[in-house]
Amino acid sequence: MNYLIVGASSGLGRDLAYALSKKTHNLILISRDIRDLVAIKSDLENRFKTKISTYSVDLASKTSVIAFLDNREIEFSLLDGILFPIGMMSDNDFITGLNSKAEQIVNANFLSIVKFTEKIIPIFKKKNNGLIVGFGSIASSLGRRKNILYSASKRALNSYFESLTASFENSHINIQFYILGYLDTNLAFDEKLSLPKASTKQLALEVVKNMKKNNIKKYYPIWWGLISYFISLIPFVVIKKIFKFIK
Amino acid sequence: MFKKKITSLDKSTTVDIFIKRPDKYREIENFSLEADNLITMGGCNSYSAASFKKNNLSLLFTKFDRVLEFDKFNKSITVEVGVKLSELLNFTLKHGLWLPQIPGYPSITLGGAIAANAHGKSSDTHGTIKNQIKSILIFHKTHGWMKLSNNENKDIFELTIGGFGLTGTIVSVELKLIEIAGYDFTTTVEKVFSAKDAVKKLCSRDLDNIFSYSWNKTFNKKKFGEGLIFNNKINENKENLTINEMYFKTDNLNKHFFLNLWNKYSIKFFQNVYYNYFSVYKKKIANDNFKNVLFPYSGKETYFHMYGKKGFIESQILVTLNKIDIFIDELEHLINIHEPEIVLFSIKKMIGKELFLRFENTGMCFTFDFSSKNKNLDFLDKLDALCVKHKLKPSIIKDSRLSSSTVQKCYKDFENFKKTLLNFDSKKIYRSELSDRIGI
Repeated sequence: MNYLIVGASSGLGRDLAYALSKKTHNLILISRDIRDLVAIKSDLENRFKTKISTYSVDLASKTSVIAFLDNREIEFSLLDGILFPIGMMSDNDFITGLNSKAEQIVNANFLSIVKFTEKIIPIFKKKNNGLIVGFGSIASSLGRRKNILYSASKRALNSYFESLTASFENSHINIQFYILGYLDTNLAFDEKLSLPKASTKQLALEVVKNMKKNNIKKYYPIWWGLISYFISLIPFVVIKKIFKFIK
Repeated sequence: MFKKKITSLDKSTTVDIFIKRPDKYREIENFSLEADNLITMGGCNSYSAASFKKNNLSLLFTKFDRVLEFDKFNKSITVEVGVKLSELLNFTLKHGLWLPQIPGYPSITLGGAIAANAHGKSSDTHGTIKNQIKSILIFHKTHGWMKLSNNENKDIFELTIGGFGLTGTIVSVELKLIEIAGYDFTTTVEKVFSAKDAVKKLCSRDLDNIFSYSWNKTFNKKKFGEGLIFNNKINENKENLTINEMYFKTDNLNKHFFLNLWNKYSIKFFQNVYYNYFSVYKKKIANDNFKNVLFPYSGKETYFHMYGKKGFIESQILVTLNKIDIFIDELEHLINIHEPEIVLFSIKKMIGKELFLRFENTGMCFTFDFSSKNKNLDFLDKLDALCVKHKLKPSIIKDSRLSSSTVQKCYKDFENFKKTLLNFDSKKIYRSELSDRIGI
């Protein structure tokens, strides 16, 4: 099988690349820095019997994404699935802090995924088969003072994947969406968090194990689902009070 | 960026540090450029505080663990140095190749082994890890990316091997691998009647594919250094064997018991049990697997925990062959006077050439483990004086107590190392508790 991983050089993307290579799937890996891609390609090909292609694409840049999707050398028609383990954060992601970075955050976390999906859907429709896996964040459960555009993009992504599921419910196009709690990635490495960080390796194994299941939407780790549910029950009036209290 | 409290393995140093874990090449650049001072951290398994400094940044390098190039025919591998040595071996052994200079714990990283110029069990055949290194790629905050080898930036290449990470972040390395004759060992045990007898027997060995080291008792005044010699011989039968991947549980080296359980009674008891077990009960010839021989401390972490919260000191001294007899005589004399509580005493042979601050030469390597008691510390001061008197090399990476003055007097290249390093990095950007302590 052939899979495309968007955001493959680190964190969950990297672990997904290893989990899929171990099962001898061929991969197209996309990330920003060619040096990271060269390293991961070499390691995977040395360890597993797999064919890896790599492309340097800046997912925060609309033009870079469009240039890649218009590249005629890439045989998108051979793809059996596409995974989007991508997340971009910024220290300046607060109401007045972002300026020029706002577009990049929305591009990387949401619009680039929409562009890739637009490209791949007609191919999957033609084959009447295909897998699309997206990754949201627990941060999208509630508005916040920090990481505002990140969480807004992830909330948009959640809604987008719900729409994809609704659109392809009766087809063989399989839409999967994971809402992730704290993970042991570099985004969270130097953060003091109140709850434990889950392993990206374990998550990658779970994603690969679930790939045959139809149209799933899951929280990972699972208990974040409960937290998210309780948050959704709190009236916004109370939430406003909580914000005031935190201030 | 948050602060983390960190303790060296020997428990001698506990400080707050900043820590970042790059997992992309641009992050190595960005994190290094943001910091005033930094040092790279691998498995953080050095006995002394070599990979961190109070209030400074440590770059945790464990995500850089990939095989970049592998040429089985030419027995060559280029690999990122955050790889654990056990993981590197898991890869190379499948191809019948290995790196023989393996320190005793599986989570030590390749970068740490290079920065310490590690020697392994076969130090009398293969010397130190320096002998396997073809080239190194480093990133330095002011010099940027640099390729180091005998043909490119040779002076920095030499400075980096055994340079305690002070020339920048070692990112990847090209290694010459060695064919391995088999994947399991036959271990033979023989008695020695004294430390001098152990040295004599270790020197007279035909050493091809044999790892030999002694274990000596420390309480027998009549027979100083009576003990055992272990010979691990590789069984040359790899054609008929498959190698299973070595798997190690998450290391728990840094834990400790509340109290130090090593005192003269427990040491005597354990040494007698150990000696009698091997000399009386256990077979003189036994089969051993690769994992047990290469990583003897794995699974035996309780040994370290028993030193309690104050920890331990390991003194490793390299004695050139012409000074062995006088060293053993004076050592015995000192032990008789001061009666230190030596938990572990071991001897093995090493080959190599001395340069800069590398723990390397042709001679015998004496290892002693002590608990951090005043009586033992006083004895170690006397041992330092013995090293200075006979120009013997104490291991800088192992002994976190060594003063700058002792190191200067024992390492004839100390000033040369310091000067060359200062020429390269006049701002002393890369620093650790260890480098500050010894004054480089």
